Amino acid sequence: MVEKLMGLPRSRTVVHPGPFRPVRIDRMRDQKGRHFRLSLPGGRTLHESLVQALADEGVASASMTLIGGELAELGFCLALPDPTGRVLATYGAPHRVHGACFIFGNATLGSSASGTPVVHCHGAFRTADGAVRGGHILTDRTVVGRRSVTAVVTALDSFELRVVYDDETRMPLMRPQARRVHG
Amino acid sequence: MAEMRLIESGRMGRVAYARIAPNEDLVSSVEKLCLAEGFGHAFVRGALGSLVDACLERADGSCQVIRGPAAEIVSLAGEVRSQPDGSLRAALTGVVADTHGHLYGGPFVAGANAVCVTFEVTLEEWLPSPDNP
Repeated sequence: MVEKLMGLPRSRTVVHPGPFRPVRIDRMRDQKGRHFRLSLPGGRTLHESLVQALADEGVASASMTLIGGELAELGFCLALPDPTGRVLATYGAPHRVHGACFIFGNATLGSSASGTPVVHCHGAFRTADGAVRGGHILTDRTVVGRRSVTAVVTALDSFELRVVYDDETRMPLMRPQARRVHG
Repeated sequence: MAEMRLIESGRMGRVAYARIAPNEDLVSSVEKLCLAEGFGHAFVRGALGSLVDACLERADGSCQVIRGPAAEIVSLAGEVRSQPDGSLRAALTGVVADTHGHLYGGPFVAGANAVCVTFEVTLEEWLPSPDNP
């Protein structure tokens, strides 16, 4: 629903189901980001190509812009109010589209608590009927088509992005953390 | 009228990543992140997340409100600049999806875009060279 208002609207303060977390900005800094440009090939999922190409460069955490390209298969979902009230907003059922033009998007690469790579991606796309839409892209269900998708990547080396359970929202969320010592 | 400076030379410096929590304002949080990290100027390298409701500025100065929750930030571009009085000001513009996946675009109105679940942002510090006019 869209409203036209004059002047500043009053923003709503929402109440999440869990306890308020005193830290409101979790942040970490790197002295220098490493930059890469990737060309994600047809026939493979966005997730598979991104994770593998960056792992080969020793990158486990990164922030990236995805540019253009064609998608043979697109999986996405939308954020909706949770009818059960367990959480404030949740993702609806996955949508599946055959053939779409990817417009652009942003993605974050991090890892789960067990170390599995996780890609969080939002993007805009145009479907075969010409409709322009956007939402949460399911990168493991999205297969690149004939034209590759370009990714411009800023790798974060001195800290990690990890998905941790957030008590306030009751959702698993990406947060910056000190690097785990390996070996 | 003052002559507009067309070009500013400089280089990228440090990189900061932040997760912004619910009910924090999008625009002022990006400014506070720069304040916390000591960045005078910065570019947004990447950002995604959700807003309770999105509020975008129209050409006539009015606000377009996209009701959530949650309105998803699909893509965002922007920068933070030090002001002549020493304060920091973020200018963020982007594309938002509503709960049906319909898209809207424009500048985010400061003070009117509260984060819903999470907002992830990566900033790159911009270091103007000292020989700029």
